[in-house]
Amino acid sequence: MTLDTRAEAGAAPASAWPIRLDGVSVTYPNGTAALRDVSLTIDAGEMVSVVGLSGSGKSTLIRAVNGLVPVTSGTVTVGPYTVSGLSGRRLRQVRGHIGMIFQGFNLATRIDVYRNTLVGRFAQAGALRGLLGVPTAHDREVALSALHTVGMLDKVWTRAGSLSGGQQQRVAIARALSQEPSIMLADEPVASLDPPTAHAVMSELERINTERYLTVLVNLHLMDLARQYTRRMIGLRAGEVVYDGPAAEATEADFEQIYGRRIRPQDRLGDRT
Amino acid sequence: MSGTTAEPAARFEVPPRPRTWPRRALIVSALAAFTVATCLPAIGGVEIDLGAIARNWRHGAANLSALLQPNWAFFPRTVQPMLETLQMAFVGAAIAAALSVPLTLWAARPTNPNILTRSAVRAVVNVFRAVPDLVWATILVAMVGVGALPGLLALVLFNVGIVVKLVSEAIDSAEHPYLEAARAGGATQHQINRTLALPQNLPLFLNQWLYALELNVRISAILGIVGAGGIGRLLDERFGFFAYGDVSVIILEILVVVLVIEAASNILRRRLA
Amino acid sequence: MSSTVEARTRTTATRPGVALPPRPSRRGQTAATAVVGVVLLVATATLDVEWADLRDLPAAVRDYGTLMFADPDWSRLPRALFEMWRSISMAWLGAMLCVVVSIPLGMLAAHGVGPAWLRLALRGLFAVIRAVPEVIIALVLLTVTGLTPFTGALALGIAGIGTQGKWTYETIETLRDGAADAVRAAGGGRTAVIRWALWPAALPTLLSFALYRFEINIRMSAVLGLVGAGGIGSMLANYTNYRAWDTVGMLLIVVVATTMAVDAVSGALRRRIMEGT
Ligand SMILES: Nc1ncnc2c1ncn2[C@@H]1O[C@H](COP(=O)(O)OP(=O)(O)OP(=O)(O)O)[C@@H](O)[C@H]1O
Ligand SMILES: [Mg+2]
Repeated sequence: MTLDTRAEAGAAPASAWPIRLDGVSVTYPNGTAALRDVSLTIDAGEMVSVVGLSGSGKSTLIRAVNGLVPVTSGTVTVGPYTVSGLSGRRLRQVRGHIGMIFQGFNLATRIDVYRNTLVGRFAQAGALRGLLGVPTAHDREVALSALHTVGMLDKVWTRAGSLSGGQQQRVAIARALSQEPSIMLADEPVASLDPPTAHAVMSELERINTERYLTVLVNLHLMDLARQYTRRMIGLRAGEVVYDGPAAEATEADFEQIYGRRIRPQDRLGDRT
Repeated sequence: MSGTTAEPAARFEVPPRPRTWPRRALIVSALAAFTVATCLPAIGGVEIDLGAIARNWRHGAANLSALLQPNWAFFPRTVQPMLETLQMAFVGAAIAAALSVPLTLWAARPTNPNILTRSAVRAVVNVFRAVPDLVWATILVAMVGVGALPGLLALVLFNVGIVVKLVSEAIDSAEHPYLEAARAGGATQHQINRTLALPQNLPLFLNQWLYALELNVRISAILGIVGAGGIGRLLDERFGFFAYGDVSVIILEILVVVLVIEAASNILRRRLA
Repeated sequence: MSSTVEARTRTTATRPGVALPPRPSRRGQTAATAVVGVVLLVATATLDVEWADLRDLPAAVRDYGTLMFADPDWSRLPRALFEMWRSISMAWLGAMLCVVVSIPLGMLAAHGVGPAWLRLALRGLFAVIRAVPEVIIALVLLTVTGLTPFTGALALGIAGIGTQGKWTYETIETLRDGAADAVRAAGGGRTAVIRWALWPAALPTLLSFALYRFEINIRMSAVLGLVGAGGIGSMLANYTNYRAWDTVGMLLIVVVATTMAVDAVSGALRRRIMEGT
């Protein structure tokens, strides 16, 4: 089997995209102000972590980037697009360029790994193929190489529900990779995993960032993971940015400021094994 | 009992017992009043005529014992109508199964976020479900004439109502994390339904399709009473002639078929689970 | 930048070298689907139906729809409401009878409550009752209590025992054994287990099923009316025979409205019961 040249060209994202938030506020319909006037710029190809206590607005921030949560005021810009204000087909098109990984993996458990991965190709499907749900040879190639990248090719026909947590998260990463995204968002990708698996998944994200040259924005609630795997760290507290700087240099005092309390043992995962 | 409870009560501060009995008494007396009202013939209630049972129980006993003496010679004449009944049940369930897929996905919240079309489909299904099966058959016989066609149509309408209601409620109450992931990847609702929601929820559908088939065998056995084909026509005719031995054969046959279908679908359910 | 391109080429280029595992065989599933398909085709082809008649169906639906609903005859509404109440009464009494009989029998039929022989006998009885259509039970009862709503109520009560009994023992069996074990561990006997462990835990579900039986009976009482048990079903059958479509239309509206109202009220009650308020 020789590689389709389109597949090879397609496997390379056109470029990483920068992310810009300008005075973004999000207030949920029930009145909770989850983000207050957040402005920040993430350069193309950066790997940035967002840390903060539960309820500090980490998920809201990451969801505002791909429009899963509409912003109340301010603008969100990714690459050439302004996300805030988009809807329908245009929004889906932009989302096609942004991969996302979830804490709960969010796979369809009764469906095999192959078809779960192909979900990443949906945004690229033409009208008729979208209607019939038939992937092209190119879609297939991209999905399989994404599975290969995360080392899950041998499980391609297994039902997603019968995989272990770490394996499911790898499939979820492959799903996001098969979008050939310019940005990768991850909302606490390792919070449901045991420590060794958590390190493996974080290394996977790190590798994707360097090998595929993607902008990566990852939510973490553990300080040592943020320090180890990301260069820049953003600290959120009650919906406001209270820290933005190099992750490695963040001191205990910085974390105590982000958390608004003393460091506790459960704020650390433990070392790489 | 009072001695053992009174003593600790004196020594410990027992929080006051919530007074539930007035509400309980109210509910019970409302139910009793309603029941009494349903027994008053003057206002249209049911006249409970235990005297009739005392007077005529011999008729019933004689009929029952006649029913317990099947006239096996009649069996060959029942085969053809019984086959027709089974055919109607099966074909009706199959047509309804096909129709139920799009309707159910329209009627469930996760697979149809549009509140207008969703409520419209639900309202129509609820109206159709409120018409009893044999009433459908009666009206359809008037419309398209005596035969298997009105019976088949009645079964289809009845099954679609049941399957759409039960499956859409089951889909509503289940968690669908993969929907969010697919949305984040830029998928359309149609792509999600076609490739994820339908296969993921197929076991729910299969379960209710089997249930519809079971019900159909039971119902199509009596559809003939209003002229809608199947073995019910023969049953009605033999009953009219007081040929209880023949009726007995038919009832036994229905019983065996229903039990066999129920057992078979139980086995299938277990294998699908 | 150049190193990342190299890396990317490496990851994709090695992909074909790794064997894609063979797709697991789905022959069994395909065969089963094929069998069902063939049976379905044969059944459809040999069914004694003039499919051509379907072409007239849209016109018939339009014509009869107009006859029934363009100008329903509301003059007989009082009579219809009276008969509807009779059907509701039939359904309610039938549900009461059914529940009162099937709860004790169903409990005895549950695993770990009654002796094995009784369990088997009761389950057999439930299965037989489930298999006999309500209409047939009504036809037998007619000879005792005549063409009356009482017959309808009795038939609904008896016919429902099959399903209701099954639901009862399934409910008891799906209860967590913890409470029952606790009562046993405290030295309780069979009655104590039923009274203090099974009954309180199962009560909300059983009450909810009782209301559900009432909803089912509302529909069935109209059906039994068609065979002469009285109530709205009998009225509907009569006016259909007279082909008085404007009255039939009115009756259908009454049936649908009442059924949906009962469903709504009973459904809301069931939800409250299950939520424990
Ligand atoms: N859909 C919603 N509707 C209303 N309020 C919400 C919603 N989602 C989140 N919130 C509220 O917004 C605030 C921020 O929530 P968010 O999920 O962004 O926090 P988080 O930092 O991701 O927390 P966690 O670590 O627990 O995931 C919280 O107070 C939360 O209760
Ligand atoms: Mg979160």
